[in-house]
Amino acid sequence: MERINAAKGFVRRHRPDYPMVIFIGLLLLLGLIVLYAISPARTQIINETGASLDQAHFMQRQFLYLVVGISAFIAAANVPLKLWQKYASKILIFSLAACILLAILGMLPGTPLVLCTNDACRWFDFGIINFQPAELVKFGLLIYTAGFLAKRIQQGKLNDLSETLVPIGILVGVSILFIIGLQKDMGTGLALLGIVGSMLYVAGINKRMGAVVLGSMLAAGALFIIIAPHRIARIVTFLGDNADSGGAAYHITQAKIALGTGGLFGLGLGKNVQSFGYLPEAPNDSIFAIMGESFGFIGLIVILVILVSLLLRLLRIMDRIEDVNLRLIVAGAFGWLATHSLLNISAMVGVVPLTGITLPLLSFGGTSLMFIMLALGLVFHISRYTVHGKIRDNNESNENQNSDSGRWLRGPRYTSSGGYQPTRRKSRSIRD
Amino acid sequence: MKLNIDFSRFRKSEILATIMIGFVVIIVLNLFYIQIIRHEYYKKQAYEEQVAKFVLPAKRGQIYARDSGSIVPLVLNQPVYTAYADPQQVGDKTKLISTINRIAGGNVVEGFKDGLDNKQSRYVVLARQLSNAQAEMLKKEDVPGVGMTATDQRVYPEGNLASQLLGYVDNDGTGLYGVEGALNKRLKGVDGKLQAVTDVRRIPLTVSNDDVSIPARDGDNIVLTVDRNIQSYAESALKKGLDNVRASKGSVVVMNPNNGQILAMANYPTYDPSKYNKVTDYGVFQNDIVSAPYEVGSVMKTMTMGVGLDTGAVNTGTTFNNRGYVQVDDRKISNVEEDPVNANATMTDVLHYSLNTGVVFILQQMGGGKVNMAARTKLYDYYHNHFRFGEKTGVEQAGESAGTVIPPTDEQGNNVRYANMAFGQGMDLTMMQTAAAFSSAINGGTYYKPTVVAGTTSNGTNVKGSKVKVLKSGVLSQSTSASLRDLIVKGRQLGALGGKDRAGYVVGGKTGTSQVIDPKTGEYTNANSIGSYLGFGGNQTPQYVIMVQVKDSKAAGYAGTTAAGPIFGDVSNWLLDYMKIAPN
Repeated sequence: MERINAAKGFVRRHRPDYPMVIFIGLLLLLGLIVLYAISPARTQIINETGASLDQAHFMQRQFLYLVVGISAFIAAANVPLKLWQKYASKILIFSLAACILLAILGMLPGTPLVLCTNDACRWFDFGIINFQPAELVKFGLLIYTAGFLAKRIQQGKLNDLSETLVPIGILVGVSILFIIGLQKDMGTGLALLGIVGSMLYVAGINKRMGAVVLGSMLAAGALFIIIAPHRIARIVTFLGDNADSGGAAYHITQAKIALGTGGLFGLGLGKNVQSFGYLPEAPNDSIFAIMGESFGFIGLIVILVILVSLLLRLLRIMDRIEDVNLRLIVAGAFGWLATHSLLNISAMVGVVPLTGITLPLLSFGGTSLMFIMLALGLVFHISRYTVHGKIRDNNESNENQNSDSGRWLRGPRYTSSGGYQPTRRKSRSIRD
Repeated sequence: MKLNIDFSRFRKSEILATIMIGFVVIIVLNLFYIQIIRHEYYKKQAYEEQVAKFVLPAKRGQIYARDSGSIVPLVLNQPVYTAYADPQQVGDKTKLISTINRIAGGNVVEGFKDGLDNKQSRYVVLARQLSNAQAEMLKKEDVPGVGMTATDQRVYPEGNLASQLLGYVDNDGTGLYGVEGALNKRLKGVDGKLQAVTDVRRIPLTVSNDDVSIPARDGDNIVLTVDRNIQSYAESALKKGLDNVRASKGSVVVMNPNNGQILAMANYPTYDPSKYNKVTDYGVFQNDIVSAPYEVGSVMKTMTMGVGLDTGAVNTGTTFNNRGYVQVDDRKISNVEEDPVNANATMTDVLHYSLNTGVVFILQQMGGGKVNMAARTKLYDYYHNHFRFGEKTGVEQAGESAGTVIPPTDEQGNNVRYANMAFGQGMDLTMMQTAAAFSSAINGGTYYKPTVVAGTTSNGTNVKGSKVKVLKSGVLSQSTSASLRDLIVKGRQLGALGGKDRAGYVVGGKTGTSQVIDPKTGEYTNANSIGSYLGFGGNQTPQYVIMVQVKDSKAAGYAGTTAAGPIFGDVSNWLLDYMKIAPN
């Protein structure tokens, strides 16, 4: 039986966190049902332009993606964790190389391997399957950064500017340059920041460093807004016009009409009208609005409850993992899922600008589903190594208490008969 | 107060969860606002965006005429095409221009070349009224940026025939003048409506239960009572008659006195209804037979005679002392100079010589020897309540006039006016009113509503007939009517026109020459007088009534006799053959 080297002693492998699987399963099923319902509408609109897709095209494809995604989940749940850690840097390098290749191929006119839409080249086109390297970057960055930060924590150099933050900054900066700069994928770029940001936070960088990170993020953001029009314009001359803000405004208006017509109980499944070409990206980025049209306010609340439950489940697992590396992977997965979900949904209700990001587990799409499932599969795997109580939170104010660590560790499951006392919080307050 | 929250008191997972749930709360509040509070607003937005309303145009009814036993179309629908270009999509401009000029020829719209240079515009009309063949040719050329739209247009297989009777249809699809105007609603039908939730390309969906689909109800195909051949003959006879006397204007109406059906309504000058937009004198659109009341003159003596006989004021044997004039109040009313003075003038003489003194005598008899209120009241009763003068006849023609008959109680309705009215002056009537009243006077006393509508047809062959409508029975008694017929026949036979009638038939009629009031002096003048002829023909039963009006005759003599009379004779003799009327 595989064993994980926890901070103190060994944690024996045990039953994984099945509630997490239930939430994931519910969301996947919902996505599939909604795609089944709107597939005829989408195919009708596409077929009017001359294609001849099967009515159930979107559902069939999503079914295929589900098979791929679930396989990824099962694989991640069973492949030894050490393997990911071992190949993390290689995966990251490979993914960045893929981005460079994509950019180069995209600039050559008429390359068959590259799929460009909306004036940005984001996909490799392998015939039946398209592949978005940015998703692989997310995954690569997730496992690599987790390992990197864990090592720095062990070395006590987490808050070391040159040893920790600068390398991470360069890594994230380069990735973002590819994704936001070249692929013009603001959504994925923000998701990347969400992943790394939550890992840094959970890793426990201090306030000063946190301020540096936040400041550089804002500076980078401002830089992109100031410089990007020029740079993007230059790159984009190859590809044609930039996407207009009028399109985005239309998109939001249509999303709100879809949500608004749904009302309290929704129009019912298969009664959608907005999916008939009014609402752009209905099966992908706008699936939440379509669900609102179908299921109404009540239905969306249910979906949000499931989504929040899943996210809370991730946090719960995170709280019970002693291995820093693994805990950071869970933190990153949480950041990934949370950023994607909240950015997507907030854009649909008009709270944040549209960034073109999928709603994980619910949206139509192959690559994004595969990698989020891979990440969740990893978390599922990690959930086999939770301890009974919440581990000591290495919040920065607790730095001084590292010495009395034993007090804060609950006995690992199955390994000790030591009485489990949920007294942490109380003692903490006394301590504070 | 300083807000001092020590975040270190909380676990990181708790803070992350709080941030996440905070976001979710904001989302839920927004959802509540959009989905619950603004639900109706967005429903309306969706309705405006998703629901398309299509009009299913109703087909305008076609118009047929009778042709002996069958029916023939006078007005049909035909698709015509408008060619347009989108300047932004036009590639080779010179090729487009030469193609359009070659195919459309005279149909091109002037200045379309300049329109093509305006790249801002998306729609430039190249040519209108293209035929099917032209449209096919243009389609075959497949010039980029050129498109066509089809609309229905009225076509007239018989050309100018009965143009004022038919009227025309304007560019908006509204019928004006004639039958098109009067029966616009019936001809037009009711447009259908299609209201459906559609996809973004406006293709209707099947998801909604609120879709509306009302099919169009096409307009009625109307069959006129008018016979194409009679109409055609009447028009050519009118034209010929007008040419003979170098007159500029005239009308002929032919009707069946036994049911009120109009057999022909001819007006000259006329116009081509397919080119109605080229007409400069709008007066030509009007069917003067129903729209232009005038002083019909001596033709009225026939009806005044009928009133005299029916009231018992005179009988067929009555004679009177014709001194050539008669004094009514302060006015001396004279006959025309050449009429003989006769102490024992007969009722036949009254019609034969058209004695003004004769009809004033009848009016005096109705008043017990003088023109007075009693006489005026009686005459008005007959004119207005029996002959329906001053009322629209209700014939299916746009712009019908009611004419003017001044009642005896009116200050203007004095004895002099009524003496004048007895011979057709001092009141304005349309030819339609006059002919319809005359029909009732000679058909035994039944006033049929004059009509041009025989019925409807759904297939262009079978006719679903409409009912004959009686507006007044007992206009005159049967016997009065028969006596009046004899007097009118004798009056015609004794006159100059009598000898022209075919032997073996019963034809009667009366001339009328109305002086026109000179707009400069306000007095009656002989220049530009209007000649009328009103008569009937047939065997024992009158089969037709014809009224002719000629304006502006240059011929010598009275226009009623020299200008209108011959046209009556021409049409009458032809009708006897055409209608295959058995001689006595």
